[in-house]
Amino acid sequence: MQNFEYVAARSVDGAIQLSTSESRFLAGGIDLLGEMKEYITSPKRIIDIKLIPGLDQIDTSTSIWKLGANVTITEIAKNKQILTALPGLAEAASEVGSPQIRNVATLGGNLAQHSRCWYYRHRDLRCLKRGGSTCYARDGENKYHSLFSGNPCISPVVSNLAVILAALNARVNVRRGDKEIALTIGELFSDAWNNPLAHNSLLPGDLIADVEIPTQKTRSTYLQVSEKGAFDWALVSCAAAGRKTGDQLADVSVFLGAVAPIPFRVESPLLERGDLSTEAIESIAESVASKATPMAHNGYKVPIAQALIRRALARIVS
Amino acid sequence: MDEQISRRSFFRNVSSAAIAGALAKVTAAAQSVDSLDGQKPLGPEPIKLVLQVNGSRHEVEVEPRVTLLDVLRNRLRLTGAKEVCDRATCGACTVLVNGQPVYSCMKLAVEMQAHEITTIEGLGSPTNLTPIQRALVDCDALMCGYCTPGFVMSLTALFSAKPKPTLEEIKKACSGNLCRCGTYPRIFEATQRVAEAGPS
Amino acid sequence: MGKDHLRYDGPIKVSGSAKYASDVQPDGWLYGMILRSPWPAARIRGIDLRPALSVPGIRAAVTANDPPFTVRYCGEELAAVAGLSKQACLDALRAIKVDADLLPFVVKEEAALRDTSPRVFENLPNAGQPREMQTGDVDGAFGISYKTVQGFFQTQVQLHQCLETHGNTIQVTPEEITCWASTQGIFSVRDSLADSIGMPMDKVHVISEFMGGGFGSKYGAGVEGGLAVRLSKEARLPVRLMLTRFDEALAVGNRPSSFQKVRLSASKDGTLVAYELEAFGTAGYASGGTTAGGGGGAGFPAPYIYQIPSTRVRQTTVAINAGSARAMRAPGHPQASFGMESILDEMALALGMDPVELRIKNDPSEIRRQQYKIAAERFGWNARYRSVASSEGPVKSGVGCAGATWGGGGRDSEAEVRINPDGSVEVRCGTQDLGTGTKTLIAIVAAEVFGLEPVAISASIGDTTFPPSGGSGGSTTAASVAPAVFDACQNALADLRSASGISDPTGLNWRTATARLRINPVVARGRWKEGLSSRGVGGVQMAEVEVDTETGFVRVKRIVCVQDCGLVINRLASISQINGGIILGIGFALYEERILDDQTGVVLNPNFETYKLPGAADVPEIDVILQDMPERGVIGIGEPVTIPTAAAIANAVSNAIGKRVTRLPITPPQILGLLGKLPGNPSGYKSGTS
Repeated sequence: MQNFEYVAARSVDGAIQLSTSESRFLAGGIDLLGEMKEYITSPKRIIDIKLIPGLDQIDTSTSIWKLGANVTITEIAKNKQILTALPGLAEAASEVGSPQIRNVATLGGNLAQHSRCWYYRHRDLRCLKRGGSTCYARDGENKYHSLFSGNPCISPVVSNLAVILAALNARVNVRRGDKEIALTIGELFSDAWNNPLAHNSLLPGDLIADVEIPTQKTRSTYLQVSEKGAFDWALVSCAAAGRKTGDQLADVSVFLGAVAPIPFRVESPLLERGDLSTEAIESIAESVASKATPMAHNGYKVPIAQALIRRALARIVS
Repeated sequence: MDEQISRRSFFRNVSSAAIAGALAKVTAAAQSVDSLDGQKPLGPEPIKLVLQVNGSRHEVEVEPRVTLLDVLRNRLRLTGAKEVCDRATCGACTVLVNGQPVYSCMKLAVEMQAHEITTIEGLGSPTNLTPIQRALVDCDALMCGYCTPGFVMSLTALFSAKPKPTLEEIKKACSGNLCRCGTYPRIFEATQRVAEAGPS
Repeated sequence: MGKDHLRYDGPIKVSGSAKYASDVQPDGWLYGMILRSPWPAARIRGIDLRPALSVPGIRAAVTANDPPFTVRYCGEELAAVAGLSKQACLDALRAIKVDADLLPFVVKEEAALRDTSPRVFENLPNAGQPREMQTGDVDGAFGISYKTVQGFFQTQVQLHQCLETHGNTIQVTPEEITCWASTQGIFSVRDSLADSIGMPMDKVHVISEFMGGGFGSKYGAGVEGGLAVRLSKEARLPVRLMLTRFDEALAVGNRPSSFQKVRLSASKDGTLVAYELEAFGTAGYASGGTTAGGGGGAGFPAPYIYQIPSTRVRQTTVAINAGSARAMRAPGHPQASFGMESILDEMALALGMDPVELRIKNDPSEIRRQQYKIAAERFGWNARYRSVASSEGPVKSGVGCAGATWGGGGRDSEAEVRINPDGSVEVRCGTQDLGTGTKTLIAIVAAEVFGLEPVAISASIGDTTFPPSGGSGGSTTAASVAPAVFDACQNALADLRSASGISDPTGLNWRTATARLRINPVVARGRWKEGLSSRGVGGVQMAEVEVDTETGFVRVKRIVCVQDCGLVINRLASISQINGGIILGIGFALYEERILDDQTGVVLNPNFETYKLPGAADVPEIDVILQDMPERGVIGIGEPVTIPTAAAIANAVSNAIGKRVTRLPITPPQILGLLGKLPGNPSGYKSGTS
């Protein structure tokens, strides 16, 4: 790593005040320190936000739960209320990394984390996303890369929590300077769809304060397939959530992870109608194939996505 | 290929003069910041830290970029935690922070003040092993031994939380620790043995 | 002997007290670090170390070579620095100015074989001279055989990934060099250090009491050892130079790849009659080359364990701009086993024969034929084997088997035993313990001879001032060291008899006898002799897997292993070796592959994030039957046990999905491709990473 100044902020205002064009916020550190050790980023100042009071709370007092940005992944995975009311969120959290990572990684950090593309992360390369001129993955080793993208960079989103929070219609509250802006998960990632340089829509100096999660969708699940049995990035992930009304499910949404720079919404009139018969589920899963533009080595993600969609929907239906 | 390093020089941007210049600029910036919280940025020159390790107080003076692992091994001579990947992927550097297993390679020393840090040296000794250490030895659950301290830390934390873990819980607790010699089956056996014996 | 003995160094390792080369901290020690080429091919015109030397804390800087010189892979050493901290070294490396002309490069084997591709060495074709071998009349035999099957199989480049990286802590004084090494061969380190700095061997003292894994890659001091010596000399302080995980994927060895075009034919009763192999693979830019360890190119034994009357084998090693191969646990054999056992299962299908039956019919080794029978019974092979994928639902079960052979055996080694008047015993041997339990083994052998408990024996190893032994490779350590220790103990016992006047000083008489030594200990040496060890083991493994045919995810449920190793000295440690070898084989089967990018020449996965090692969740039930054959003497067990695992798993996966797995590692993309589930590419998938 390059050397830097270190300061621990004691309030959100303080953190914003301390930030410069060459500073980064430090939460769990897994993503940031990893990038710094490869010299992908070399901030001159690190602002530790872990000591800011109030950012580590899980507030379930109303029907819209509020999780502070500093809540750890372990806390999310083990929280009894989350396990009952938002099982998909607990499932997604329990698949993040390893216990050692979950103990320090935070909700805010997981959402804001940077690309894991091996060209982006290579210390001796400067790919398109890092300001170079080439997306090496397009013509290269792209087995882990996006099936869908709106721009020449095909690095996919890897945040497990982003995928389930998208399905749960969560809102992310971000401090930008003096203002607080509320972003849907889609808005949080939209820049990454259009702009090869972007990992998400956050601007330098933005600080995620908390995430609000409505609890109306009483059925939710998260699934992923990896190469290893644990502690491995998802090849494809899928989150589904819906609201039980009688013996129907309404407001069902399905998102895929690791197939696009954003959590990818699976769109289908059947979903909108709430038609989740076995045939409908089959058809919803099939529909994903038509929009995908596989690269040379990642076409296998299509059948996996389809299988996960089927399984996730079957799970929330039953 | 032009995004790789150019012909003329390897690291265009970094010369020793440039480093010195950058440090000077940063220090100046720090002095001019009106930090709301009364927090003054520390560093980049070495800063004095106090770390609580295995119940003892240690004073060190290191740059902000120095990791906890680096301090433990190279300044405090606590070499039980190993540097194997330095990227939070293998668990050989696992220590307990307030009882929770954490990768010490991904923690800056400066963040670790006011935390209780436990390393392998803070558990047993060769003549006074903890139950999980004893079980690992008795089940031959180690070979080269390089990963072993990391596993001991993760398993120690497991038993603090769950005195009788199931095999699934044991595997999950170990999922952040790699072993290249392949001692996993015996690690499971040793851990199950301790679970059956109950808390001591 | 033949029982379970607790590992001698268990308590010291489990408490974190064991000091490895990376832990040793002589007074004033400096941190060392290497600058490596980021280019796969380049002519280095100049290296300017001056900016590095002005980084605060730096005490020495050297170039790895004098410009101009050519680098031929990403990771080749350019320079090294030593300083007061890791941070100073990192800054110093980044300050070094390198002037380089980039050259064309090639990193894919098939591309490297083409005449139009860049050459790794200007005046040599990338393809080496093929090694050819013929027996019988292959064309004739293929012409008249009952059934012929063929296939094209590929295996990947695998990395050793020892957890302790390569490196040494070295202290150079004008009189001598002390080197704490992470090594499998302390004498190989001594010799290469002495050579590199022109010092007599007896002035080089190498110590390796504990080391964090070798798997074949740690012989000699390496380029890193030579650099550490020069840094230590320049700084006049000890230098600890350990490689980083990034370095390990680039520059310290790997298992060569293989591309195998195979044809096999049999007669109606299942007797194999003809075999043809055309194979190539890469051992990097040069096998051996300037790095220690060698590797013998990308060749492997074919047709592996089977004796087929008509064979034609042609193997070529092709150079690419990548780090050189080094021997890796059973070099050549896992690749050989995968290709051979896969085509054999194809033949079993073609003949409508049970795969185990086909093997028993054709395997020339009586030991292995018996092992198949034992394994089949323990595994429940007959109940589990179905020739077509038959399980209901998307998750299909399958079973497969494979056999192995290995040499092992002992070679020259010496040992020294000291019996003290207080009854204590010390044994010294300049051998290594890689986690293999050598120290404990020594104690067991000595204890057996003297009628004592192993805990009464103090065993010391890993020091070149002790009697010499060979490097720990080829599964030869036990077979070399045990006889040497045995001999030394016999000699010591004879001396004790005459000194004490007691005809049988062992066991209960020990204290009485040794007390009679009064003030003079007995010191005796011994040497390895023929007769106590031998060569040649077999080994058979069976695997049961589950394949999710919708996602391609493979889970190994169970492995049954029947393994012989001659005389079993320590059962407990031997079974640990078997578990370890099988788990390494699982990595080879399902997860591991070093991946090079052909646009830039870099290694894309120089880390554990995307070079994937089996973890706790990936370990199946492992059921071992270890055969103790004392009459054969000590043979060795480290390597045979990792050979057939991937082959058995591949056969099991093929059995589960009803399609032949052709490439390792077996990952979801390959499975889904074989099942015709890829969009727009129904029956296969593009070559490249699996």
